[in-house]
Amino acid sequence: MKLNVVKQRGIWWLISGLLIAVSIAAMALSWSQFNGPVRPGLDFIGGTRLQIERDCSEAAACENPIEITDIREILDGQGLEGSSLQLVGNSGQGIAIRTRTLDVDEQTNLRSALTETLGQVDPTASKIDVVGPTLGKQLLIAGLLSLLVAFAGITVYLSLRFKFDYALLALLALMHDVVITLGIFSILGLVLGYEADSLFIVALLTIVGFSVNDTVVIYDRIRENFKLMPDQGVDKIVNEAVNQTLGRSINTTMTTVLPLLAIVFFGGDTLKFFALALIIGFLAGAYSSIFIASTLLAWWRSGSNSNTDMSTPVPE
Amino acid sequence: MGKQRSMLVVIVGLAIAAIITIVQLPTQLGLDLRGGSQLTLQVLTNEQITQISERELEAVQRVIENRVNGLGVSEAIVQSSGQDQLLIQLPGVSDPGQAQRVLGGTAQLEFRAQKPGTEGELRAISDIVNQQEVQQASILAVGNNNISDEDLAELEKVTTDLQASRETLLELFEDTELGGDKLRDALASPLGTGQSWQVSIYFNNEGGALFTEMTRNIAGTGRVLGIFLDERLISAPTVDVQYAATGIPGNSATISGSFNADAARDLEIQLRGGALPVPVEVIENRTVGATLGRDSIQRSLYAGIAGLALVLIFMAVYYRLPGILADVALVVYALLTWAAYNILGVTMTLPGIAGFILSIGMAVDANVLIFERTREELRAGKTLYRSVESGFYRAFSSILDSNVTTIIACAALFWFGAGLVKGFALTLAVGVAVSLFTAFTCTRNLLFFVISFPQFRKIGYFAPSLAADLPSTSQPSQS
Repeated sequence: MKLNVVKQRGIWWLISGLLIAVSIAAMALSWSQFNGPVRPGLDFIGGTRLQIERDCSEAAACENPIEITDIREILDGQGLEGSSLQLVGNSGQGIAIRTRTLDVDEQTNLRSALTETLGQVDPTASKIDVVGPTLGKQLLIAGLLSLLVAFAGITVYLSLRFKFDYALLALLALMHDVVITLGIFSILGLVLGYEADSLFIVALLTIVGFSVNDTVVIYDRIRENFKLMPDQGVDKIVNEAVNQTLGRSINTTMTTVLPLLAIVFFGGDTLKFFALALIIGFLAGAYSSIFIASTLLAWWRSGSNSNTDMSTPVPE
Repeated sequence: MGKQRSMLVVIVGLAIAAIITIVQLPTQLGLDLRGGSQLTLQVLTNEQITQISERELEAVQRVIENRVNGLGVSEAIVQSSGQDQLLIQLPGVSDPGQAQRVLGGTAQLEFRAQKPGTEGELRAISDIVNQQEVQQASILAVGNNNISDEDLAELEKVTTDLQASRETLLELFEDTELGGDKLRDALASPLGTGQSWQVSIYFNNEGGALFTEMTRNIAGTGRVLGIFLDERLISAPTVDVQYAATGIPGNSATISGSFNADAARDLEIQLRGGALPVPVEVIENRTVGATLGRDSIQRSLYAGIAGLALVLIFMAVYYRLPGILADVALVVYALLTWAAYNILGVTMTLPGIAGFILSIGMAVDANVLIFERTREELRAGKTLYRSVESGFYRAFSSILDSNVTTIIACAALFWFGAGLVKGFALTLAVGVAVSLFTAFTCTRNLLFFVISFPQFRKIGYFAPSLAADLPSTSQPSQS
């Protein structure tokens, strides 16, 4: 099988264009509802998440499942209407509650009221996260800042190793991957109630660092081909490079996605969505490297039509 | 070939050393995996102190350390974070309510005069407090990994008793109006030329007047001036008889005695911490019960093993002989990386485990690049040996580039990220670095070693699709 990516670039650009349009629409909708491109979680807007589980060492204590309505009553009684509630743990013997930021006394009151209704709880199976609103903002800013720095760092590095236009086009492909990942997760937020935590920003950064790899491999090959076949047209050289590296691009993505799939299936709740974000980003990255970054380069170089300076010297 | 053999011996040696390291040197687990409470304290500003400098943060940190010690938690850590935050780790604490209550709030520094007629009691109770402090410290020194249930019960008892003794001690002193808000500053300085040091304290006018009054009452009586920080006696100087008539005048005084430089500095910082009217607030609290932590470890372990197995199978099926060799290299990679975490003292958190698992998938990428290139060279009609050689040689620049970009992202994460995020960046970066080593030493030497045996030199073992097109030749090795 031999792909002619340059000839079919209309199709690839259309697919990406549509995906990006859908992503931006989802983010806009998400923004109007939750004030963020993806539904922001505890880490970014502050709040309290309390998870407790019944102590089931005596079987009688766990005969009946926890009644959501009882818990709702307790919350209403403490002025915590509108908090979200979720049954967790084995056979619904645990409960996770997400409220606004509670101070120490409020936390203690809530805990003791819950213990009264639920019976003995297992302290070693409980979990509490309290994040103040100011800290949430700090985390968000730090995350966005590191994303920018990573973008800049990679652009600088690629400009040094290749040329500035290669770097810029690689960056464009990266943004494509980030936007699509954001879009899919804003849809997950709208439909499934997914809330982005700091790990989501970590995932975006990792996508930036890793997805550029496939692009680098292809660009490396394009550069090599320019040297080997200086009289060929840009389109042919790019096509050739994409086909030569296709196996690599697919397999490196495969080997990286496989362990992530293992996390999605076996890992705990915290890591599941993290791994899923990485998978989506890496797949988008492989797609954009093969079909977008390459065709953009072919288009750009044939547009500037300066065949002579294409044979960028390979730094030894 | 001899070179390959000796390199392989080195690699086997490294792998064995890694296994020994993993067994001997325990992996440090983060609080999200072993259970515990992590708090972030924000030092707040007010009208008097509009900016928190390093000096203020240091003083507040000392105050918080005192309070953390009072909790009696083993292996507790207090460290500064950024310009105005403190990070506190309390392993094993599953209900952070008490900790949050004790750690928040402004420091309470008080100067109290001893009540008349309590000299004997003071000595007795001070001895008990000292003894209990030593006892508590010795249990805490055991460390969480070795602590037994009896020790834990003992620790809890000592901590409660110590609290009670301190309360008794406090009752031997009179109530006071001279608090930290009236103390301006404290400064440690060497006394003359000798080894001993003194600590000077400076009050404002109101505080100076109260201090003069208080010192006049106890000067020469043998009763002491109790300096309490958060209701804990931190210093108990006596006042010289020469001040019996006048008290200590001039809004300042020096405390001298058996201070060495460290002790004087410590008192200075504690006093300054008490003098600061800056409140601290708990702005973040992440607490995970030990059972949940264990659960996370187990699930991650399954995920890690499953992930590794999937990659191993994929490589062996797709790349045949070199794939199997890459698998061997990958196992060596996993061992070396794990050992590197333990040696470098990387604290393993849940995201850190994800970083490790992810790095397994990335580590094999270098091999994919090399093997694909090797197949290409074979297709171009080169000999097996040459193809393998140029596979390694020509894939190098791509491999380097792609790893550098990943490291750039890790560096950005590490500089800006908070605790959890840092763990991920660190494990991934260490993984990427080790993977460069294993791809270019381990896989390479294994591969050259294997093709030095004629029976392995079949094209079909390297590129099954080519074997059909080309006659199966076993070319002479050129090594």
